Amino acid sequence: MSAPDQHSHDHHDHDHDHDHAHPHAPIEDVDDPQRYEYVLETAIRELLIEKGVLTAAAIHRQIDLQDSRTPAMGAKVVARAWTDPAFKARLIAEPLETIIDEFKLEIVTPLKLVVLENTPDVHNVVVCTLCSCYPRMLLGIPPAWYKSIDYRSRVVVEPRKVLEEFGTVLSPEIEVRVSDSTADLRYLVLPNRPAGTEGFSEEQLAALVTRDAMIGTALV
Amino acid sequence: MEKRVNDVGGLPGMTIRQETHPATLHQKRVDALYALLTSPPVSAFRVDSIRRTIESNTPEDYRNFGYYDKWIRAVHKVLIEQQILTAEEIEARMQEIRKRPVVVETAACANP
Amino acid sequence: MNTASNATHAVLATGTAVRVKNSPPEIHCRTPYYLRGVPGQVDTLVGRFRDPSLLAFNKPGLPMRYLYRVRFKQKDIWPDYAGSPADTLVADIFEHWLDVLKEPAHERA
Repeated sequence: MSAPDQHSHDHHDHDHDHDHAHPHAPIEDVDDPQRYEYVLETAIRELLIEKGVLTAAAIHRQIDLQDSRTPAMGAKVVARAWTDPAFKARLIAEPLETIIDEFKLEIVTPLKLVVLENTPDVHNVVVCTLCSCYPRMLLGIPPAWYKSIDYRSRVVVEPRKVLEEFGTVLSPEIEVRVSDSTADLRYLVLPNRPAGTEGFSEEQLAALVTRDAMIGTALV
Repeated sequence: MEKRVNDVGGLPGMTIRQETHPATLHQKRVDALYALLTSPPVSAFRVDSIRRTIESNTPEDYRNFGYYDKWIRAVHKVLIEQQILTAEEIEARMQEIRKRPVVVETAACANP
Repeated sequence: MNTASNATHAVLATGTAVRVKNSPPEIHCRTPYYLRGVPGQVDTLVGRFRDPSLLAFNKPGLPMRYLYRVRFKQKDIWPDYAGSPADTLVADIFEHWLDVLKEPAHERA
């Protein structure tokens, strides 16, 4: 935990008012090859390849796999569940197995996936307060806000206020149910199918389903 | 300590910043390293060790270091802890890298 | 070191009234502070898993523990909860972090 010699963060150089979280944004939006962490990752990668722990090809394949995972996969699952009641029943009973079967999804390390079905009475929203667990195999890389301390702190105690920041307002009769993925579960929200979509094809339905709707901060 | 530094549920927070940006090459590499090291066939360590290491940050560092910075620093520590790499060889390689002429790589780099 | 408890319960049925223990956290702890001492209900049994507080130190994480989805009323968690009285929160809690308050009533045969 000692500060490294060539540490390019400047945040140790000015005072922080601890009543305000993060005085400035982490410098992560653009790569800077001179940053400590950039050089660190390069060094680790090169050494692991030289020692035969990893190969450059495996790293490229993994990056390609990561790139291929987008919320479109989750949206397909939702659209299928909306149009096929038997699929939906299997999906809720055995989520990961059903998705792998139906869509031939490649999963290296099977994790426990739980599908949370919204109903007219219950609206689900997902968080990982302790870290940033997220169903990457279905939604890709989590958005920065999902991993932020502000989201993780606030959505469990004031979910409706947080949802309003995302433009989602729910009547008090609806139960807002927050799921905190505290122990290696991954959650996917199955949003309510919007009215006026009868007769839509699966592709048309999938196009309506946003990543945020599958986290629970948005409605479809 | 009654509460670990990462245990933030219910703490006061600010308006959530919703802007996103595409993952950078560095970030993809950090994700890839972590995924390969914690999965078969490599399985060098478990994600639980990485989490435990991130949780050993001071509260200030936990809040001020960005997400990917916390992850690569944790991978660094656990690789040393597991004696897969040594601190000295990583430091030596970093010094050597810093002496190289800077080449800006992008995810869409035309020349491999 | 597992500071919560070494006891394991028999499998808890859906509807069992439970309370999250008020134990100090393990070094790597997956039971959030905000749920300590809070009463809730077992929603579902997720399965048996190795103990993450031990896996974090490269130990085998045995014995395997039952993991439950436990549902809480938000007004039971936060004294000043400002949302709807209907609102709930569900977290994944290991058996050794739960005290059983009351078994659910038996269903009519």
